[in-house]
Amino acid sequence: MARTIDYRKILTEPLIRQNPVTLQILGICSALAVTTTLATAVTMSVSLTVVLTLSAGVISMIRRHIPDTIRLIVQIVIVASLVIVIDQLLQAYFAEISRALSVYVGLITTNCLVLGRTEAFARHNAPGPAMVDAFGNGLGYSLILIIIGGLRELFGKGELFGVQVLPLADAGGWFTPLSLMLLAPSAFFLLGLLVWAIRSLLPEQAEAPEHVPPLRAEPAE
Amino acid sequence: MTRGLWNRETVALMLIAAYLPLALFWLWSGGADAVARLGLAALVIGVWHLVFMLARAQAPSLAALVSALAIAMLAPEELGVLRMVLGISFGVVMGELVFGGWGRNVVNPATIALSFLGFGFPAFDWPVFDPQVAWAAIPAIVIGVATGVMPGALFAGAILTGLVAYAGGVLGGPVILMAGIVLVLLVADPVTSAATTLGRWIHGALYTALVALFASGWAGAAPVQIAVAAALLASLAAPLLDEAALAIWLAKRRRRHGRT
Repeated sequence: MARTIDYRKILTEPLIRQNPVTLQILGICSALAVTTTLATAVTMSVSLTVVLTLSAGVISMIRRHIPDTIRLIVQIVIVASLVIVIDQLLQAYFAEISRALSVYVGLITTNCLVLGRTEAFARHNAPGPAMVDAFGNGLGYSLILIIIGGLRELFGKGELFGVQVLPLADAGGWFTPLSLMLLAPSAFFLLGLLVWAIRSLLPEQAEAPEHVPPLRAEPAE
Repeated sequence: MTRGLWNRETVALMLIAAYLPLALFWLWSGGADAVARLGLAALVIGVWHLVFMLARAQAPSLAALVSALAIAMLAPEELGVLRMVLGISFGVVMGELVFGGWGRNVVNPATIALSFLGFGFPAFDWPVFDPQVAWAAIPAIVIGVATGVMPGALFAGAILTGLVAYAGGVLGGPVILMAGIVLVLLVADPVTSAATTLGRWIHGALYTALVALFASGWAGAAPVQIAVAAALLASLAAPLLDEAALAIWLAKRRRRHGRT
């Protein structure tokens, strides 16, 4: 174990270059469902980051004691216990946001992002790097959630965190809310556009084309 | 000239020729306001075609005019320039240009733009046409089918189902007129409608059936809104219909000739 671990790289890699949402398209179910307002997006991001970091730490600590055949069950039990704790905390202190998030906090248990990181990284690495990696992935997820949540709330209601930013046309301003932004399809559009933008800036993320267009038979006019 | 006269732009020109009667009647009854809408739509779409030509070397197409006509005719009224530009940009870029330009798109860009405007700004009224504009859709159908750029089987399926629905009392007069205009402008697009004959029959029938369903069950919807929603859903189903038609054809072939 002489090799040094580049914590900085583990932490920053999942932010853009290996972002779990836009590169690996993991965890988009919750990412699309809870981003109607910025407040729910931030709460969801924090919950997921906490659960992910703690579960990666716990699983990494007992990684040599988990039998391979039942490892998924063990991982889910650990994640689910943490999720229940977070859910109770939210219900106790942020009852309103907890109602808005409804079932999605509970579904962090089955979020493919959490299982993916525990399965791919925490199972093979010491607790330190595992937690840093999980935290970085949580931050990458949070980044996308906050961008999409912010855009949807800003253009759907003209608000940010419930504070009116753009003056509404009803109240004498100039902004007419784009109510499509509050519907589920807009989250897909925004995520798609975001993926497109990131892959245009970082072409190495783009997937290889599945089909090659046929060569032109005639010379171009 | 390895492919003869028929390339993509010939098809686009024929489509424009087919739409001319409809466009002229609409411009005549709409006046300066209609000309301004058509000009704005054509300008925005043209700019996007130019952008994609410069950025991704996609040849611009005259089909931009067809999309512009459909959007200008069917978009909700009094939207204002900014919202029109937003909706048209969304429809043209996400519906057509990201796929590689006209001919490679999966959905009609005009349908996408109209659905975006309709769902995004539900407070605005949908347009209402005079009956003579709707009648002008008939020469459009005739020219389109005669030159082969519009699928005849699609019209046959749609009109047959429409007659059945009319006889059954599900479809009323105004809805039929608007559904006819939308059928010509959006559904009969040669790129995004079904490509097999059986698929076309079912595509047309599905469109009319959806219009009938919405007309009887969607309270408070404008006729154009009903028709555009039906066109969107039907065009999303078109690849599936083609797939089904091909599967049936293959199964038939296998039954007749054994394993092929």
